[in-house]
Amino acid sequence: MSTPGPERVPSTVKVDKTTGQGKPPAGKPSGGRPGGPNRPGGKGGKKGRKPVTPVKVAGGRNWGPIAVAGVVVLIAVGIIGWSVAASVQSDKKAGIPWEERASAIADIVNFRETDPDLVKGSQHKNGALTYAQDPPVAGEHNPSWQNCNGIVYDAPIAKEHAVHSLEHGAVWVAYKEGLPADQVAKLAAKVEGREKTLMSPYPGLTNTVSLQAWGYQLKLDSVDDPRIDEFIKALRVNASIEGPTALCDSGVSATGTAPQS
Amino acid sequence: MSSRRFSYWIPVALLLGIVLGAVIGFVVPRGESLPGDDSPEAGFARDMTTHHTQAVEMGLIAYTRAQNPDVRTMAVDIALNQQGQIGMMQAWLREWSLQPTGSQTPMAWMPNGAESVVNGLMPGMATQEQLKQLREATGLEEDKLFLELMIQHHLGGVHMAQEVIKLSKDQEVVEAAELTVNSQQRELTDMQSLQKEISAAS
Repeated sequence: MSTPGPERVPSTVKVDKTTGQGKPPAGKPSGGRPGGPNRPGGKGGKKGRKPVTPVKVAGGRNWGPIAVAGVVVLIAVGIIGWSVAASVQSDKKAGIPWEERASAIADIVNFRETDPDLVKGSQHKNGALTYAQDPPVAGEHNPSWQNCNGIVYDAPIAKEHAVHSLEHGAVWVAYKEGLPADQVAKLAAKVEGREKTLMSPYPGLTNTVSLQAWGYQLKLDSVDDPRIDEFIKALRVNASIEGPTALCDSGVSATGTAPQS
Repeated sequence: MSSRRFSYWIPVALLLGIVLGAVIGFVVPRGESLPGDDSPEAGFARDMTTHHTQAVEMGLIAYTRAQNPDVRTMAVDIALNQQGQIGMMQAWLREWSLQPTGSQTPMAWMPNGAESVVNGLMPGMATQEQLKQLREATGLEEDKLFLELMIQHHLGGVHMAQEVIKLSKDQEVVEAAELTVNSQQRELTDMQSLQKEISAAS
């Protein structure tokens, strides 16, 4: 490679200069023929055989490296194209998974980690039930769910129905009884008309607001806390263990802490 | 010499490679056009889910309570069809790695859309008070109220679907919205003739 290199370079430069007067790329196909006579001259050392043969040989020799180089370049650029496209795709997919969103919320309690049995899904049971958490976040519940298509209840509801709503993917916004109306209105604006949410006052709640999704809880002391929106964004629908089409209507719409069934 | 030809071909091959590579890079990965969090497609999928959810609710109420068998059939057909579409739209959001809950206000994806939201309700949606009346209505009053509310609901839904057809280039979304427009416009005509039938009979 290195030995023929220096020999050939000057000849290339010379030919380039002469043909360079025209258009190098366009001159090429036609330049091949003028090049023909030149080559036997240049290759005089290889004996002046028929000019035709070297041209053919030269053409054959050239196509190999050209094809290889072309394929190599093609593959390289193709790979670049793919990786660029893939990175663009992954940028768009930068949508953080909901579990990560949830765990990034300060002070959230994840019962899926601390009490997996509680969260894996539960039997229907009629009548009043007791829960280890207050407000409850999962576990056994009544066959009927509390309607949860963005309903703002103005009185306490039965937790046995509300837990069933959580199982269907609802976020339950429970607030301290006697919360001033303007603060209740701020919470209601996050719930009203938004399916898979419900809201009610909760007797005995010491925090201002307690957010529940199936297996998750977050207790806060201000209705202006930005974590309320984060909790809803991360867990509404996502926390359902029955998928996004579980119903939030056709259930109980009555208030009162005694379960209906 | 052979190197002379070679030297011409290298830039040509390179150019060809770049062109083909670019073509591959741009054409093959269709995923490049995945709708983003604030896109009309994501807004439509989320808001139409909300909108459809209420149609399902009204449809199920009328299915269990309406008197006229044609009204009941219509009601359950609307409920099941729209519930299926909710599943489809929620699957889109998952495919796009987006959450069911957006960060924008409802209808913000539509020009002047946010202004069309009244008390958190999108165009055509019934109030909680109207839903309560529907749950409690008796006799043919139930049928009449259902038709009245669902006609309004469909008019709002058709409008939203027409808007996303204008705004979106996502083939799947546009096709689904076109189906919605077609089926709801047909149902509107059917519900209007049921209205006449019922008021003539009562």
